[in-house]
Amino acid sequence: MGTIDRLLTRRLLAAYIAVILVIMYVPMVIVGLASISKSRFFLFPMRRTSSKWYEMTWDSLQVHESFLTSLTIAVCVALISVILAFFGALAYARYDWRGRKLFQQVLLIPIFFPQAVLGLALQLWFNSIGIQMSWQSTVFAQLVWIVPIVTLVIAIQAYGYDSAVEEAAYDLGASRWQIFRTITLPLLGPGIFAGFLFAVLLSWGNFPLAYFTSGADVTVPEWLYGKMIGGYTPMVPAVGLITVVLGGIILAVGLTINGMLQRRD
Amino acid sequence: MAAAPPILQLRNIVKSFGSLNAVDGVSLDIEEGELFTIVGPSGSGKTTLIRLLVGMDKPTAGDILLRGKRINDVPANKRPTCMVFQSLALFPHMSVGENVEYSAKCKGIGKKERRQRAAECLKLSHLPQSYYDKAVTQCSGGERQRVALARALAFNPEILFFDEPLSAIDYRLRKTLEKELKDIQRETGKTFVYITHSLEEAMVMSDRIGVMREGKLSQVGSPATIYTQPENRFVTEFMGEVNSLPVRLADDGKLHCETLDASFEPPAGMPPGFSRGVLIVRPENVAISDDAAPAGSENLIRGELFNEYLLGSRIQYQVRSGAMVFLIEELRADAVARLPGAEVTLSWQPGDSMVFPE
Repeated sequence: MGTIDRLLTRRLLAAYIAVILVIMYVPMVIVGLASISKSRFFLFPMRRTSSKWYEMTWDSLQVHESFLTSLTIAVCVALISVILAFFGALAYARYDWRGRKLFQQVLLIPIFFPQAVLGLALQLWFNSIGIQMSWQSTVFAQLVWIVPIVTLVIAIQAYGYDSAVEEAAYDLGASRWQIFRTITLPLLGPGIFAGFLFAVLLSWGNFPLAYFTSGADVTVPEWLYGKMIGGYTPMVPAVGLITVVLGGIILAVGLTINGMLQRRD
Repeated sequence: MAAAPPILQLRNIVKSFGSLNAVDGVSLDIEEGELFTIVGPSGSGKTTLIRLLVGMDKPTAGDILLRGKRINDVPANKRPTCMVFQSLALFPHMSVGENVEYSAKCKGIGKKERRQRAAECLKLSHLPQSYYDKAVTQCSGGERQRVALARALAFNPEILFFDEPLSAIDYRLRKTLEKELKDIQRETGKTFVYITHSLEEAMVMSDRIGVMREGKLSQVGSPATIYTQPENRFVTEFMGEVNSLPVRLADDGKLHCETLDASFEPPAGMPPGFSRGVLIVRPENVAISDDAAPAGSENLIRGELFNEYLLGSRIQYQVRSGAMVFLIEELRADAVARLPGAEVTLSWQPGDSMVFPE
């Protein structure tokens, strides 16, 4: 029997993977097609193609500014949340202290709070204490939501190693700072990296919090939303595709550097 | 020549967690260059005690003196002692060499000297030099034990503590490592303090043993003393399976056991003023015979053989007599073929039994 069964299994598996890939990537292909349509509205089959929407996107000051705003917010959010979450994760997973259970529960609340409501609440709060809203206030708003998530990501890593290694280092004469630098930080490294990546992605794609709290500054999702409800042009899918391609390039460069580093070891 | 002063002195050490005294008044002198083992069942406070000795925790009361200096408040990273952890606590992101060199690196010792010291310690703990660059995550269980030992030796501690590092290792490898550890201790001349729940392990390695129970030291002495002259029932029973008979001193000067309705000759070393307690006989001191009344034997008990276990070079029998079950051991070479259900006679020399008051 064996061989036939195995052949069938392999074919079914291949078909399954193909279906998944199609479902995942067809929307992106459609976006790509929509961005090169000559007419303003996307009709299928497409009559004529054009690259003019890309040229317009590339020259658009609005698009430039929104990219810069989104990127600034994402980097700030990622850096701050990784630092806060690192210590939060140690408190969450490593140390036994009074109120740890409460801390673990309170930490989760912002994740489950609907983002639109959280955004509105923050907007009302910023207004009432008289803060002029801009990209900085969005950084704060996104931190409220992203820090708990990054904390959990790093906490998983912190749970994953034997805390006796820190005691062993201490016993071998290491100072607190040496333990932190040579043991804790390297062992939590993968979690910190994953948390940073999570923070960038969540911030980059976040619309509701930015919508309520960014004031006059416009992020990429806000710009896309603005264009969608009034004044759609194929610049919308063009921006979408540029984002995907940029992400792909960054990923490829990162993997190459990683591969080169590993080969050297 | 006057005896060297003890390297480590414990004076009435107490460690409490809330109302519980995990360590409850331990006083002990550990001599320079000896292998001292603290042995006790789980929950007896031995791990708590060793954590106080390496400086991970502070005692609630009492003093710890290292070469006569009080070190209660010296933190672990400032003490010239080092511990091999139960989990070994190897640094998983480092190679074997980096693990071994860790303490030297913290002290800021140069690369060349570090490397040389690491090589010596790898050799001492029987690891090939090629392991220097191997990841610790790729080492087997036994190799990891050796890496942990090499790392501790590289620290060059005045006292090396061990917190049951061999408990998770399979029997044969454990036996090898126990003996190697003893050799390394002799070779380096260092003071080793070892804790374990296994008296067998303690017997193999130690110069002296301290038996711990409920936060207190029950008895301290050489393995031979602990075995032949246990001071109390706990030590006797902790050492292995024994036969314990509840007895009281009868008017005729014999020990009467009500459960068996039998009387036994008391041992010569019966404590004065003894009235009731337990009579303890080790399985290997009980003779088993098919005769109803073997010549020249005292303390006879009739019973029915109902189980037989082969323990390598020895055979263990279980014999039921009335409401009690006796354990008997004899060398396999001396054993006579017996069938379960056989009627047998048990006996022992009064001198081989021990009595402890209740």
